Amino acid sequence: MYSDTATLPAQRPVLPARLPVAAALLWLTALLASALPWLQQLDPMALLSAFWTFNPDTYASVLAHFSWAPRVAMAVLVGSALGLAGSVTQQILGNPLASPTTLGVAAGSQFGVTVASLFFPGLLAFSPDLPAIAGGLLAIAMVIALTWRLGFSPVTVILAGLVITFFLGATNMAFLLLKGEWLGNLFIWGAGSLVQNNWQPFADLWPRVVILVALMLLLMRPLQLLQLGETSASSLGAKVAWVRALALFLVVLLTATVVSRVGVIAFVGLAAPVLARLLGARTLGGRILWSTLLGGGLLLLADTLAHWASTWGDGSLIPTGTTTALIGGPIILLALQGFRNTHHMPGQTSSPAGFLPKRRPILLVSAVLTGLLLITVVVSMGWSPGLDGWRWTGLSQWHEAWIWRGPRMLAAVLAGIALGLAGTLIQRMTGNPMGSPEMLGISGGAALVMVVIVLSGLEAGRMGQLVAATAGAAGALGLLILLARRHRFAGNQLLLGGLALYVFMDAGLRLVMASGGTEASKLLNWMYGSTWLVSEGEAISLLVFILMISGALASVVRPLTILPLGEQSASSLGLPVARVRLLLLLLAALLTAAATVVIGPLSFVGLIAPHLARVLGQQTVGRQLIAAALVGGVLLGVADYLSRIIVYPNQLPAGLLAALVGGIYFLWGLSRHGRA
Amino acid sequence: MCTKSAGLAGLFLLLITLAMPATADTWQHENGTLTLDKVPERIVALNWAATEALLLLGVTPVGVADLAGYSHWVREPALPESGVRNVGTRVAPSLEAIAELKPDLIVTSAEMAPAADLLERLAPTFVVSVYKEGSQPFAKARRMLLALGEMLGREARAQEVVEDVEQTLAEQRARLAEAGVTERPVALVNFLDARHVRIYAPNGLYQTALKALGLTNAWPHPGNFWGFSVVGLEAIAAFPESRLVVISPTPPGLADTLAGSPFWTYLPAVQRDQVYQVEATWPFGGIYPVKRLATQITDSLLAGGSDNVQ
Repeated sequence: MYSDTATLPAQRPVLPARLPVAAALLWLTALLASALPWLQQLDPMALLSAFWTFNPDTYASVLAHFSWAPRVAMAVLVGSALGLAGSVTQQILGNPLASPTTLGVAAGSQFGVTVASLFFPGLLAFSPDLPAIAGGLLAIAMVIALTWRLGFSPVTVILAGLVITFFLGATNMAFLLLKGEWLGNLFIWGAGSLVQNNWQPFADLWPRVVILVALMLLLMRPLQLLQLGETSASSLGAKVAWVRALALFLVVLLTATVVSRVGVIAFVGLAAPVLARLLGARTLGGRILWSTLLGGGLLLLADTLAHWASTWGDGSLIPTGTTTALIGGPIILLALQGFRNTHHMPGQTSSPAGFLPKRRPILLVSAVLTGLLLITVVVSMGWSPGLDGWRWTGLSQWHEAWIWRGPRMLAAVLAGIALGLAGTLIQRMTGNPMGSPEMLGISGGAALVMVVIVLSGLEAGRMGQLVAATAGAAGALGLLILLARRHRFAGNQLLLGGLALYVFMDAGLRLVMASGGTEASKLLNWMYGSTWLVSEGEAISLLVFILMISGALASVVRPLTILPLGEQSASSLGLPVARVRLLLLLLAALLTAAATVVIGPLSFVGLIAPHLARVLGQQTVGRQLIAAALVGGVLLGVADYLSRIIVYPNQLPAGLLAALVGGIYFLWGLSRHGRA
Repeated sequence: MCTKSAGLAGLFLLLITLAMPATADTWQHENGTLTLDKVPERIVALNWAATEALLLLGVTPVGVADLAGYSHWVREPALPESGVRNVGTRVAPSLEAIAELKPDLIVTSAEMAPAADLLERLAPTFVVSVYKEGSQPFAKARRMLLALGEMLGREARAQEVVEDVEQTLAEQRARLAEAGVTERPVALVNFLDARHVRIYAPNGLYQTALKALGLTNAWPHPGNFWGFSVVGLEAIAAFPESRLVVISPTPPGLADTLAGSPFWTYLPAVQRDQVYQVEATWPFGGIYPVKRLATQITDSLLAGGSDNVQ
């Protein structure tokens, strides 16, 4: 069932000239598209000469020299640097889907710059690199610390990087939500913009890039040895860990330096090497060369598209980070089709068969969990900070306090229950203990639809949101199942397919953020699960909804037990496999969507709750469902309470707190069980 | 559209019944009807436009959203040093804190729509959105001020404030016309960093100030419903005829960066010494910032421009 010898697509025959032709085509298209609007005002020679001179009498020439040419140069430099950094990262980690973004470097840099803008604005004016590099190093240090004992196992590193990205991203969001006015420029910076009006930034950047690239190329030979595999590389005298650490350090320096100048340009570092490989770059040298070239071309094209899009519209800025994500997403999806499934996901080998904590009676466990839930409810209703200090609210006043404490608490607990159930369903369906609505992008699919609704300016009520979110979640889940059926739900494919969906959602989010205004704060609040807007009616309809779904779940316990045995045995036991799959899919999507509308897509509860249920000794499907639901309810109930009191009278979104706690738990679990 | 005309009709009714003695008065607002038995005394304002309107009427709210932020960004009309409590952020105020203040009136906007029924259970809630898709901020803010004046028994004060703003606008217009400096369009910008500006669009609050002064906005495109667009600095190069009014604050070190950039020094407005800098005003407030901005623009246009920000 979990075998890695999944069907490999046969290597397609590669035309030797395909790569140069594609690269040349990309560059030509990008350059022409970029130059096109200018050719109406300047003749081609004058435009070309804009790269080194200008004619002070023609304003168009001044503009071309100080605005267009540096922007083109910057796009090419940044794109090439990121492409190179990406291919080197992939070499270091031996993973075709690694990149500085997926390792958390970009999020770390953003964290550094956010902290610097809030607390040390002088430092930022003095050197924008320092905080970005410090943040990037912090992120990579966290990833390394977490995966040290596991010997940098490639997939574990990627997962740790993803979680660090979520974690630092969530912290950044908390700052943006509480201090938005003070961080206006960060909204743009977070989306990546290559707008230039001077050669100075380019002149600052290129020597640094050249030096770092030269150092990286010096590491080429040791890196090449790594390709032979660790054992043989060590015997050849290369100190594997040191070479890797040094190369990673250089990657972080390069990425953070670039990112500190132009903001977070997502996914060029991933898309360029992936494209190079897809087009047939085989050797290390070839991959590095072509990734660099394709990266430059890709970013120039993406930036031109962004520039065009902003002039077509009402003139407002379309950040380049948005268009790179739109280009990068499909490339990742495309790449997933072609890659061999050679890596385990952590937990794959050890569970569910290998990882069996002591069984405990369900009655005891659920009684304890219900007790915890009750305590949460009582504390949440009764013990609260006021404007003049903490106090208890007596039972006689609960009917009043219910108005401002009750609906949100009820909704949060219900969302937790829904996520616990959905997570268990999905883990059982995919037979993968790391599968969850969050990691597989099912919440991302729901969120994507909601972001699109916000972008298009439609006013959807809660009901409309729920329908739209369900459609999004079902679409994402269906897509993933189609995509992964060949791989028997066992590989990176599912996880990274989810990542690609998250990328799309992220692109929309960045666009809204760059346009400024409180729309961005509203969207962020929702994305990270603010429960404070939930009304009583909504909470009660959610309650009815969850009760109905739970009834339906009782009927799928048997199929869920049988399904992981394989389709053959399932149908021989008289199970209509296709129909059952569809039903499970629908239930999981409905539960995820209902939870996502309340708590946002990033809470991690769908991952943690089923896992904790197993840790608590609930192995069979029915028991795991019950325990996971209760655990989820407790987790989000507590998160909602904390979100209300922790910075009173300000509030943090409950989902954000859950993501912070969940991220830590996940990392801990990863380092414990993640030996792949 | 529907709510707007309903609001207008409601206002009209109010104006008619102005002279009559008030008992249990009702007001139409965006979310329904508001009934008040007596003049409210404990008022909570959940956005800064509402806070400003209350202060202009001489009413001190018991609670406002983002208290520290108001004092930092809006400043005028100033909040008293003490006695006003913070009820949380403007996007996510704490219902708990609002309830604790035992308000008898909550002033908020349609952004809070999902929580409207909960707010309604805490206290009578007056919903008016100065900023919303398709609203005209100045006219809306003016109506809000007048309606609040009615509600709080301060009609005369509300009229005074409105007349004062209108009179100031007329005076400044006359000053500009006299000096004959209204011919060139004006681009109103905030620098976000050395490469990006927020440019104020024809659908925003500041358009009222420009129009009242007889000036043309250089930027022709509508912005978001807050009335601005974020653009790259190169976007203003497309309007060589225009003057540039920069609203403070500017990021540290901006003047040096711009001075070293030929793109900036060759910008037609810079070459003509037509860069004007005015003090910080809050661009998403009510009618008061319009008065403030109009006066400042007039002063700085009359004083003459320079070739850089300060």
